[in-house]
Amino acid sequence: MNNDNSQLGRVSISPRAIATIAYHAARQSYGVVGLTSKNLMEGITQVIVKDPTYGIDVKCDGEKISIDIYVIIEYGTRITSVASSVTNTVRFHVEKALGMPVEQVNVHVRGLRVSDMD
Amino acid sequence: MDPEEIEKKPLDQLYPMQKYPIDGQVFKSLVEAGLTWLRTNQQAVNILNVFPVPDGDTGTNMVLTMQAACDEISNSAEHNIGKLTHLIAHGALMGARGNSGVILSQLWRGFARALDNYEVLDGQLLVKALHQGRNTAYKGVVRPVEGTILTVAKDIDAEAERSFADTQDPYIILERAVIAADESVIKTPELLAVLKDAGVVDAGGKGLYFILDGMMRYVKGLPLDVNLTAVQPLSAMKLENAFDSIEPGQDFEVVVDFHPHEELNIPQFYEDLQHIGTSIQLGEGDGIYRMHIHVPSDQENVPLQYIKSLGVVYKASFENLRVQMEQVEHDRGSLIQCKPIEPGQIAIVAVAPGPGIARVFASLDVSAIVEGGQTMNPSTQEILNAFENLPTDRIFILPNNKNIILAAQAATELTVKHITVIPSLSVPQGIAAIFRFSNFISDTVSVIPKEIAKEMIESLNDVETGEITTATRDVEMDGVNVKKGQIISLLNGKLVLASKNLKAATLGLLRKAHADHFEKITLFYGVNVSHLEVDAIVNSIHKKFPKQEIEVLEGGQPHYQFIISIE
Repeated sequence: MNNDNSQLGRVSISPRAIATIAYHAARQSYGVVGLTSKNLMEGITQVIVKDPTYGIDVKCDGEKISIDIYVIIEYGTRITSVASSVTNTVRFHVEKALGMPVEQVNVHVRGLRVSDMD
Repeated sequence: MDPEEIEKKPLDQLYPMQKYPIDGQVFKSLVEAGLTWLRTNQQAVNILNVFPVPDGDTGTNMVLTMQAACDEISNSAEHNIGKLTHLIAHGALMGARGNSGVILSQLWRGFARALDNYEVLDGQLLVKALHQGRNTAYKGVVRPVEGTILTVAKDIDAEAERSFADTQDPYIILERAVIAADESVIKTPELLAVLKDAGVVDAGGKGLYFILDGMMRYVKGLPLDVNLTAVQPLSAMKLENAFDSIEPGQDFEVVVDFHPHEELNIPQFYEDLQHIGTSIQLGEGDGIYRMHIHVPSDQENVPLQYIKSLGVVYKASFENLRVQMEQVEHDRGSLIQCKPIEPGQIAIVAVAPGPGIARVFASLDVSAIVEGGQTMNPSTQEILNAFENLPTDRIFILPNNKNIILAAQAATELTVKHITVIPSLSVPQGIAAIFRFSNFISDTVSVIPKEIAKEMIESLNDVETGEITTATRDVEMDGVNVKKGQIISLLNGKLVLASKNLKAATLGLLRKAHADHFEKITLFYGVNVSHLEVDAIVNSIHKKFPKQEIEVLEGGQPHYQFIISIE
């Protein structure tokens, strides 16, 4: 939970809200063909509820926000480039929406999707 | 034939190249031409970036990706088109940089796959390859955003298919595809709101257009290494720009506003003017043209005579450049040159209280300098003016004085640019912050401005600031009794000492600052202290602090005899 204390009151933003922003940003990144769960159990439960934070893990420690993203990337793209553009896009969108710095964005490539074999 | 005419003429078995079937080696030349043309227009693509996302500039990313593709084939003598395009695709894949680079590599990958096992690229294959390129590129994303390079690839594909109904000639299909790409790029703001809001077209799409256009220019034999100098709007015509390029024999600048009797034949007009002089520019607005040219001193009337034959002259002006240049040369001595900035880079704007300090900042790659400091604070507007015209939207301001921080912060409210104020309280702090910044210069692309700013703010404490000035009235402050006319020493803004003379004030200050625990002492001397005094004081500092490195610089600041940096 993150607090922006001001004299008028308090604003708090939940990790889930942050995850939703990250989710949409990641899905718009070129080369990312899907997000995936951290582990199998979580995958099953989340598929059922169609969670808009699927494949995103947000940790907040005081002012420090770190985001883990589990993605599937298109086979045949340069994975490092795609991953770094996911990092940049997610960081940009989250920081823009929150007005707070994101400490780290970790991209975990969990698989490749092969739609065309060379 | 005149280049302008060639550009307009459609391909109709006109160009010698059209006789050659496109095999691997011909295609290699085309791709290299595409890269060259993209590189020529790299900055034009870079400035279209709408998101300040730190994965670099689209133009640069696309150039690097294409460069990797071209490196892969540069030594290849492969004639088989299928094998050659696979090499290109491989190079593009390995060198893909940024979003646009990855998409570009996917376009090449699909393009290459369609040409598997073929020797020569004909019309039908070109259509097929463009189609496959587009399909492969679209597969790489869950939710394709329209109004991007993908849309342009789609429109190119559609146009190629349409053209194939009329012609089998791959060169003509390519030419039509280039036109379609151009139109598609122009339409991107209609599809993507962020582009429309920013008033730009899509950068990636534009880059793709330049690659194809470069290929076509090569076919037509047009130059690839010069930016297009088309007719520009009158408002955009900056005569100062042409000013630097005067050569011997070009003594007069002639500017004529005129209204032609008939529609102006621009290529012919340029051609005629080229016989008269150099630095030719033409601007247009509401049927009125403005012609700008440099001519030798005895021919200043020739352009006017020529234009009179074409239409009605509204206004003509002459300026003797020789005389002006002498003036400029004269002024240049006192002019401080700042580092030119490129779009997307972070520009540093520093407030400098004196010409010497301004020169120090300029030598540290500051992009703009605002004059001002103690008792001569620059206004918010002056700070704003300093950076509004810089071609980047990421600005760091170093106010270098606690009274200017507020003005700098106010300036951030009045601009659309992303401004970060680094709250430096003194010149030494400002310099410390710039040194920290320069650690990032090689890598500003992958580091977030916020992180750089954080580091710079931290660095402000790396240095102790000493200031020596004359008291203007009697006062008791910070526990020190001061009489008017005494020399006072301030350490980090706090009054620490009042002394009878400059030497005692300076040495006392250094003692209070425990300068013997530091490594380096830098003195900026002001306008109100003589060289002799400076030499004498520096000598005594040397004696008292023999282990410390001492540097003396002309600061040129008023009021303060010394600004001292202890680090």
